[in-house]
Amino acid sequence: MSSSSPMEVDSQLPNGSSVVAAAPAAPPPPSKSGKLAESLKLEHQLLRVPFEHYKKTIRSNHRTIEKEVSAVISGVSAAADSELTRDEAVDQLSSLVSRLQGLKRKSEDGSRTEHLQAQKCRARLEHLESAELENMSEWNNTRLKRMLVDYMLRMSYYDTAVKLAESSNIQELVDIYVFLEAKKVIDALQKKKVGPALAWCSDNKSRLKKSKSKFEFQLRLQEFIELVRDDENMQAITYARKHLAPWGATHMKELQRVMATLAFRSNTDCQSYKVLFEEKQWDILADQFKQEFCKLYGMTLQPLLNIYLQAGLSALKTPFCYEDDCTKEDPLSQEAFRKLAQPLPYSKQHHSKLVCYITKELMDTENPPLVLPNGYVYSTKALEEMAKQNNGEITCPRTGLVCDYTEVLKAYIS
Amino acid sequence: MELNSIKDAFDRVTKKQKLSSSKSQEVIEQIGQEIEKAFLRLQSEQDSASPCAHKLILNELKTKLKEIAPLSHLESTQKELNVALSKYPKLLEKSFNPDISKAYRNIDFDIHTVNQIITSHFYREGQFDIGDCFINESQELEAAASKSPFLEMFQILEAMKCRNLEPSLGWAARNHDQLNQNGSDIELKLHRLQFVEILQNRGRDEALKYARDFLAPFATQHMAVFQKLMACLLWAGRLDSSPYAELLSSIHWDKLSVELAQQFCNLMGQSYESPLSVTIAAGVQGLPTLLKLMNVMTGKKQEWQTMKQLPVPVDLDREFQFHSVFVCPVSRDQVSEENPPMLLTCGHVLCKQSITKLSKNNSTRRFKCPYCPAEVEAGQCAQLHF
Repeated sequence: MSSSSPMEVDSQLPNGSSVVAAAPAAPPPPSKSGKLAESLKLEHQLLRVPFEHYKKTIRSNHRTIEKEVSAVISGVSAAADSELTRDEAVDQLSSLVSRLQGLKRKSEDGSRTEHLQAQKCRARLEHLESAELENMSEWNNTRLKRMLVDYMLRMSYYDTAVKLAESSNIQELVDIYVFLEAKKVIDALQKKKVGPALAWCSDNKSRLKKSKSKFEFQLRLQEFIELVRDDENMQAITYARKHLAPWGATHMKELQRVMATLAFRSNTDCQSYKVLFEEKQWDILADQFKQEFCKLYGMTLQPLLNIYLQAGLSALKTPFCYEDDCTKEDPLSQEAFRKLAQPLPYSKQHHSKLVCYITKELMDTENPPLVLPNGYVYSTKALEEMAKQNNGEITCPRTGLVCDYTEVLKAYIS
Repeated sequence: MELNSIKDAFDRVTKKQKLSSSKSQEVIEQIGQEIEKAFLRLQSEQDSASPCAHKLILNELKTKLKEIAPLSHLESTQKELNVALSKYPKLLEKSFNPDISKAYRNIDFDIHTVNQIITSHFYREGQFDIGDCFINESQELEAAASKSPFLEMFQILEAMKCRNLEPSLGWAARNHDQLNQNGSDIELKLHRLQFVEILQNRGRDEALKYARDFLAPFATQHMAVFQKLMACLLWAGRLDSSPYAELLSSIHWDKLSVELAQQFCNLMGQSYESPLSVTIAAGVQGLPTLLKLMNVMTGKKQEWQTMKQLPVPVDLDREFQFHSVFVCPVSRDQVSEENPPMLLTCGHVLCKQSITKLSKNNSTRRFKCPYCPAEVEAGQCAQLHF
C-alpha cells in the first residue's frame, strides 16, 4: 500500500512554470513503528535539560571542593611558614579541621543532589522507552501535558504549571526548577537589577565564553548607562575601567558608542543615543537572557506547544477547512484555529484520498465511490445501506435529490 | 534510535561521577586525618619539648599533604568525568533531532487565541481547577464562558459512571427536538438502559410504568426495539437467565457514555476530540517531515517563510483526513473550486483543466481517456462533488 517516492520539491522556474526537482530520496513512508521512532527523535529537550542541570551541579560541587581543599592546604603551608606560637598553631589547625568537616557535609549533600538529578535523567530515558504502539494514547496524552507545562513555564504561569504537573504526576518529566532559576534573573531584570543576571553569567562562565556570548558585556553596558543617567559620571568612568575595558578588544565599537553617552546625558535628543536610555533596553536584556538560557540548556526558544501547533495546523490546512460545512471534527472548523492557521502554508497531497460525506470512511478500491445523477459522490457502503433501508431509493443528503440505486455510476479514481 | 546505547552512555557518566564523588570524600577524609594527627601531636606537646617542635610538626604536615597531592587526584578523576560529561550530549545530538524549531515560521501566534484554546482544552478534559487557575494567571477572562457547557457534560458523565441516568435523561429531554433533527436515537437508548436497570433491580411493576411513560413514545418509530424490551418484562429481576442477558453488559454503559459525549459536543457545535489534542497529534506526525524538508531547503529561508503551500506531502494517519482531496492523475494538481473534478463518460475522473487541455478547449472534440481505450467528449463530462 505505501508507495516509495523520493521527496520531491516543487520549485518555480523564472518563467513561472513549475519544475519538480528530486531532492535526495527520503526513505519510504514509514510504518507505524517507524513513525513512532521518528516522533521520539523529537524529544531532545526532554533528555538534554535535566542533563545540563546535572552537569552544572557536578561542576559547581567540584569547584567548591577544589576551592576548599586548596584553601586548607594553603592554610597549612601558611601556618608552617609563619612564626606562630604553639597555641596559635593549635587554633589554626583546629579551624582547618572544622572547615574540612563542613566541606565533608557539603560534599555529601552535593552528592545526594547529584544522585537525585541523575535519577531524573534516568526517569526521562525510561519514559521514552515506555512508548509502545499498544499504549500510545496514554503516552500521547502525557506528551501534550508536558508541552502544556512547558508553555506555562515559558509564559510565566507558574502556578498553573505546578498544578498541572502535580495533577498528572509528571513532575519528573518537566523542568519547573530550571525555569524558576531563570525567573529569578528575569524578575530582577524587570526591576532593573543586574545582580542575579551577573551571578548567572559567572556561574556559566566557561559555557558562555565558548559560545562567544556577549551577554555579560551587555549587562555591564546597561549598568554603565544607569550610572550616566543618574549623573554619576566619575563612578561611571571607574565602572567602565573595571568592567567594560576588558571587552574592548572584541567589542570596541559598541564600547565607544556607549562611552559617548557620557557626553550626551539621559535627556539627549540625539536619536541614536536617546534609544540607549530607553526603558525598553531592559526588556531587550530580559529577552537576551531568555535566549542565552535556552541555548545553554538545549531548549528551543519558542514554546514546544507553538512548534507542534504550527506543524499540525499546516499539515491539516486545506481550503475546504474554511468552508461553512466543514466537519466539526476538523480542528480548523473552529474560529480560533482558523485564525492561527491563517498565515501558514496549506498542506499538500500527492495522492487522492476521498472521504465519504455520510460515513466519513475512505472511498477506495474496497469501498469505491459512486456518483449520483447530480454529480454528488458517496461511498458504496453508504449508498448500499441507504438503499437497503429505503427500498432501493437514494436521497442525496446535501441536495435532497431522490433517485434509484440503479441510477448511480461508478467512478474510477486512479 | 538505540535507547539502550544511550542508557549505557548515561550509566557510564554516573559511574564516573560516583568514582569522582568517592575520590573527593576519600581525599577530604585523608587530609582531615593528617591534620587531626598533627593537631593531636601539637596538643600533647608539653613544655618539655623544644620550643620549635610545633613548627617541625607543621612542616611535617605540610610535606605530608604535598605527598598525598589531593588536588591532582581530584583533578584526574574530574577529568575522566568531564570526558564522559561531554560525550553524552554529543550522543544525544546525534540520536535525536537537536533543534526542532528549525522549521518554525517567524510569525507570532496571538497569545490570547492560544490561551483560549488551552482553556477550552482544560475544561473539555474535565480539568476545571486547572482551567480556572490558568484563567486567573493568564487573565483570559473571556475564556471562562466555555466552562459551563463542559461542566454540565462532565457532571452528566460522572453520574453515568455511578449508574445514575437522571442528569442524562434530563439533558436528552431538554434537547429532544435538536437530537431528533440530527437523527440521533440516544434518548431511546438512555431510556432503554434505564428500563433494564429498573427491571433488574426494582421489579416488574415499576419497569412497566416506566415503559408506559417513557418508552411508549418511541414505539412507533422503533418497533423492533420496543417489542424486545417489552418481552424482557417476563424475566424481571432475572434478565441474566433470559435470551436478553447481554442487555445487562456494562459495555452498553461505556458505549452510551461515549455516544452521549459525542452528541453533547455535536449540539454545541464542537468536535468530540479536543481540537488541541488532534492538532498536536497531527503536528507530532508532521514535524519530522517538515524538519527533513528544512534540511533540504537550507539557504532558502525566505522561500520557507513565505510559501503558500507545503512543497511536500505530510503523511498523516487516516484519522486526520477530514476532507476529500482529489489529485488529478494527469496534471498532479489538487482540485479546487476553479479546477473541479470531472467524471468522464468512461468512469475515470480528471480535473477540468486537464480535460480542457486534452480536448484542446473544444467541447465537442473527442479525445482518448488517458486510462482506458474509451473516447470521450469534453462537453459530456460532469462535475463531481466529493
